[in-house]
Amino acid sequence: MKLKNTLSAAAIGLASIGSHAMAADSAEPIVIPTHNWSSQVVMAYVIGGIFESLGDTVEYVPADSQAVYEAIRIGDVTISHEVWQSTFGASFYNAMAKGGIIDAGTHSAATLEEMGVPQYVIDDNLCPGLPNWEALKNCPEVFATADSEGKGRWLEGPQSWHGDLMPIRLEALGLGDLYTVKFAGGADAIWAELASAKKEGRGIITFNWTPNFTDAEGFAFIEFPAYTDGCRVADGGDGACGSPKGWLKKAANYKFPKTHPAAYSAFSKLDFSSTDIGQMAALVDIDGMSHQDAAAKWLADHEDVWKPFVE
Amino acid sequence: MSTSSETMPKEPVIKCESVYKIFGENADKMLRAANGNVDAAKFQEAGCVVGVNNASFEVYKGEMLVVMGLSGSGKSTLLRCISRLTETTAGNIHIDGQDLLAMNNKQLIELRRNKMGMVFQSFALLPHKTVLENIAFPLQIKGISTRDAMKRAMDMVELVSLDGRQNYFPRQLSGGQQQRVGIARSLAVEPDIWFLDEPFSALDPLIRKEMQDEFMRLQGVLNKTILFVTHDFAEALRLADRIAIMKDGVIEQIDTPANIVLNPATEYVSKFTEEVPREKVLKIKSVMDPITDGIDFSDLTISGDAIIETVAEAVLAQTKPVRVIDENNNIIGSLHSDKMIHILFGKDDNAQAGA
Amino acid sequence: MHRRVPDMGTNFFTKHRKLSQFVILLIAFFALVILVKPNEANVLWRFPSLLASLPGIINDFAENLMFNWFPIQVYDPHIEEYEEVALLREVTRGFSRGVLFMIEFIREVLIGGVKTIVAFTSWEFVRENPWAAWPALPWTVVSGGAVILGYALNGRNLALLAGAATVYISVFGQWHPAMETLSFVLVAAPVSVLLGLLFGILSYKSHAVEVALAPFLNIAQTMPHFSYLVPVTVFFGLGDHAGAIATIIFATPPMIRLTLLGLKKVPVEVVEAGLMNGSNDKQILFKVLVPTARRDILIGVNQVIMQCLAMAVIASFIGAKGLGFNLLLALNQLRIGQALELGICIVLIAVVLDKLSLAYANKQTDYFADLSFAQRHKYALVFAVFFVGCIAVALLGQLIFQDGINYLYLIPHNKGITTELFWQSGVDWMVDNWYAGLQGFNRGLIVNVLQPMKNAYLAMPVSATFLLVMGTGCIIGGIRSALIVGGLLLFIALTEWWDRALITMYMASFSVIISVTFGLIVGSICAQYTFASKAALLACDTLQTFPSFIYLIPVIMLFGVTDTSVLIAVIIYATIPAVRYTIEGIRNVPPSLKEAGMMSGATAFQRWVKIDLPLAFPHIMLGVNQTVIFALFMVIIGAMIGTDDLGQYILKALSDKQGIGNGLMLGLCVAFIGLAVDHLINTWAAQRKNALGLS
Repeated sequence: MKLKNTLSAAAIGLASIGSHAMAADSAEPIVIPTHNWSSQVVMAYVIGGIFESLGDTVEYVPADSQAVYEAIRIGDVTISHEVWQSTFGASFYNAMAKGGIIDAGTHSAATLEEMGVPQYVIDDNLCPGLPNWEALKNCPEVFATADSEGKGRWLEGPQSWHGDLMPIRLEALGLGDLYTVKFAGGADAIWAELASAKKEGRGIITFNWTPNFTDAEGFAFIEFPAYTDGCRVADGGDGACGSPKGWLKKAANYKFPKTHPAAYSAFSKLDFSSTDIGQMAALVDIDGMSHQDAAAKWLADHEDVWKPFVE
Repeated sequence: MSTSSETMPKEPVIKCESVYKIFGENADKMLRAANGNVDAAKFQEAGCVVGVNNASFEVYKGEMLVVMGLSGSGKSTLLRCISRLTETTAGNIHIDGQDLLAMNNKQLIELRRNKMGMVFQSFALLPHKTVLENIAFPLQIKGISTRDAMKRAMDMVELVSLDGRQNYFPRQLSGGQQQRVGIARSLAVEPDIWFLDEPFSALDPLIRKEMQDEFMRLQGVLNKTILFVTHDFAEALRLADRIAIMKDGVIEQIDTPANIVLNPATEYVSKFTEEVPREKVLKIKSVMDPITDGIDFSDLTISGDAIIETVAEAVLAQTKPVRVIDENNNIIGSLHSDKMIHILFGKDDNAQAGA
Repeated sequence: MHRRVPDMGTNFFTKHRKLSQFVILLIAFFALVILVKPNEANVLWRFPSLLASLPGIINDFAENLMFNWFPIQVYDPHIEEYEEVALLREVTRGFSRGVLFMIEFIREVLIGGVKTIVAFTSWEFVRENPWAAWPALPWTVVSGGAVILGYALNGRNLALLAGAATVYISVFGQWHPAMETLSFVLVAAPVSVLLGLLFGILSYKSHAVEVALAPFLNIAQTMPHFSYLVPVTVFFGLGDHAGAIATIIFATPPMIRLTLLGLKKVPVEVVEAGLMNGSNDKQILFKVLVPTARRDILIGVNQVIMQCLAMAVIASFIGAKGLGFNLLLALNQLRIGQALELGICIVLIAVVLDKLSLAYANKQTDYFADLSFAQRHKYALVFAVFFVGCIAVALLGQLIFQDGINYLYLIPHNKGITTELFWQSGVDWMVDNWYAGLQGFNRGLIVNVLQPMKNAYLAMPVSATFLLVMGTGCIIGGIRSALIVGGLLLFIALTEWWDRALITMYMASFSVIISVTFGLIVGSICAQYTFASKAALLACDTLQTFPSFIYLIPVIMLFGVTDTSVLIAVIIYATIPAVRYTIEGIRNVPPSLKEAGMMSGATAFQRWVKIDLPLAFPHIMLGVNQTVIFALFMVIIGAMIGTDDLGQYILKALSDKQGIGNGLMLGLCVAFIGLAVDHLINTWAAQRKNALGLS
């Protein structure tokens, strides 16, 4: 059954691209998940607005960003519009392996998820030589914390995001004696540490990604040895490499192309750049607008971007 | 025997025949094996506790039987057998000629709703209901409309002199007041049979006396058939038409207060009677002599219901026997000062007084 | 008495039998710790992970149940195909739809929508008939309704409270999410209460039910809610209904417990009185037993309401809309002020619902007031007038505030006034002024206390742990207790997560020690004064509903993503029951005994040590028990800050391939730690109670 679903889903996905104009979208609402970070919520309302412009009904449901893929697979949620490669790739592919979820294309926004430091660490020259990773060898004490036993500390995201990638990288780069990895419980824990560090002007190495609201305040990613295919331990390498430029995908329930062909067509064409996403997040995080208002404003100001998706 | 025996109907209101109540898993089997001859100690060894052991008696209409015993004597258990709050192990109980133990749940509920009322030692009021609601409770249970139930309940509030407190909650009342509520509740459905389980035991002595007076006043008006349980011998003497004294589940003696005081059947009973100042508890009618022809009465007339102590001095002042009358002024007996002296001072000679 | 004197001093060991046993146990424990060297192959050091495959089995079972077994053909009109769907999934989804309908119905009465209409027609109908939407009530109507209800139930004070709370929520621009949360609580709470009553009554009636239910209650009350989020979504889907169902699982057990407790406390004579009044079985149950047990049952209702709102944030992980989700969103933007305002909304809803339900239960009727129709229905009439008035005002508002926001109808989300800047600057000030000073403390604590303690826990051979725990069980409650706690621990020891569990135990035990010490001292001091006691209990209630997520952030800003932060959050939460039970315990010590103490010339301190504490001991132990449970709970939530214990794995299970199995197994591990401690404490407290003649 699983296999059948996956196959038929793929078939429907292919078929619908050519045939969507014939069938009308179902009146059933399209369920869009909202997670707990700004750009995602604004984009949810933006996409909702695009669907509504097609005459579709939209419903938003809060969901955990990891658990949502299971929900899409089962059909409780229709789409996910921000599938980050390194944080959610695993959950997405796990769900895909079970069947019921389809890949609905990739945004052109190039993402990067990597360890980095706030811009002031570079500007104040706290660790000369950064963002080149070699500089880390000379200043672990700048990044030491109360619980790091004198070593420098890397504040990594929750372990569910990329497992032991960072501890392995530390060892592979020969930084194992100088640095230690601490897994944070969630993004908000990272932001709290960042905010606190910024107040003190102290050094901090933390996991982060772009596009993100931290881009506005300035954040520098550490330049590790370039990523090459197979450089990671899981792929047979030694792990002494940085993160690749990541993709940002869209996912949908396998029935979506059939139930809402017009909406699915728009969704599959939907493509936001880093600039678009940065603008959406900035409306909330910098301008202090509510998420709905931000989405409405973005839709009004950027018809040139999204109108092509619905044609 | 009480003088009212002539007016009693033949059929008793409550009739118990060889009632047994034994707690424990093998009670039935043990009882059958014992063949009616229950030895409490032997049962105890087998893990059974004997609550009531071969109780037989009758209670007649308008009569008040007081069951007296110390704690653990089985008096409350007996009461619970007769109200069927606990299932009797063996024996027969008839209420108004109906077989109580054969009744199904529905019949039992009907019986309780219409014929029985019960007052509890700990008052057993519903804490969330006001005085008025507590009293109206049995009426509402019966399905009487709220309006009528409350009206009737209000009458009961007045009967027990709690007017003005009808909207209080039980916790806002004193013990005596709470028991007035308990009494009013038990009387709300106008039952024929009134069970009272140590109703005044939880009260202070002064309040207890006051409540006993109140109780007697009520009984004077209502004339119910009453089964009253107490551990207080003085209370039993004060209230009872007849007293049943229990020990270890066995009824040691069942008789009128006078006969019990004057003629205790067992050593156990005499332990209670020894200390009793009989002039303070006995009524004239319990010690008077029957009327024989040609008595030369003195001019003094005393009430049969008077406590001896209150009239002793007057009787002693007479050389001739005095007339004893009932509430309708009928002469029901005579009393001579010699006998009075004997009652007051001759405690050693019980046999003569009892005869 | 006299004759016993010669025996008194004969033998230290007989006199302090348990103490000496315990000393011997400790010696044996440390001997094992020293003798057994770390070696994964040594069974005395770590047990093999025999249960490692169990999560997978559970997972496969659940997946098969939901997706494969008992397939039925269901036609899906949207894709015009028949699909095979597992029977159970159709059943659970049907149930979900029912719950969701109730939530949405209440929600749409409050803030409008189309779902209720859709439920009776179809999405097509709604799309083709734009008029077919339920309009939102003006907030003034709901607010006024709450005031009138408060007044009708309990007079002016409650009316003021209800009014203040609703005005606060509206004016601060949280009306929409607050009504979403309210609608979900208004379904979850009554369902929990009814289920609690039902199972409480069944357990009271049948000992078999009570015995059968006990382990489920124990586990449900000690299992962290994170661990059943994934199973709930798989079985029931994602959305408000899933949040409500998780909440019901969480909130029902205390209600069952308290119902049973209350029923068992009903005096026999009260039931007999009911019987003698001719009550039938139903009347005995609903007119005598349940009302008489109301004190405990109402505590149960209070607990349900508190638990429901405490779940508001967690429930948003699986789709519950409302304050909880917005709170998480605000925290992720580090808008602590906004999160705080949202947190206050949650507390206010809890307090108002609690007071309203209590007032409703205590309502008195006046039977003799001969009232006219208007008088009898005065509140309904006032509300009707108010309803019409408010709508008129809202329509008027439409004219006044053309184009802008109609403040007399609905104040949109986050468009109200806000005190955010104030709180934000407060947090900033705190970090600016305290951070540097606290670093020394933080470092000292971590280096000198926490890390050595954690390492010590991890250095315990499994054999030594078992010896210590089972030995303690044996000393306290005999061989039976030893087997129970041993069995519970064995389950954990045979999973792959024993080391993780040791870290959880280290964090929980550290916080319990601090919380209990603090709770005993603060509780004892407050218990001396009526006002202080009331204030402290109110603070406990507030902190219990106040979402802990909010204070996680400032704590992280001060102490970083470290164990210190986690432990501070845990201690704040776990101190609540320690304080509460200490106050209750001491205040319930009979005054005569206190007076006796004073008359025998005891100083305040002597009285505390010799009279208050020993007599309040059994109740305080219940508090310690709750402290352990609360601490375990919060240690798991501490995973949101960043830990490396069981909590981290539970959080991870949200995205695991074996999410259901891992989540449940990890949850059971936490629950079993809690149950083992619970068993030891309860057994000990029961013995002390007997010894003091309090039982």
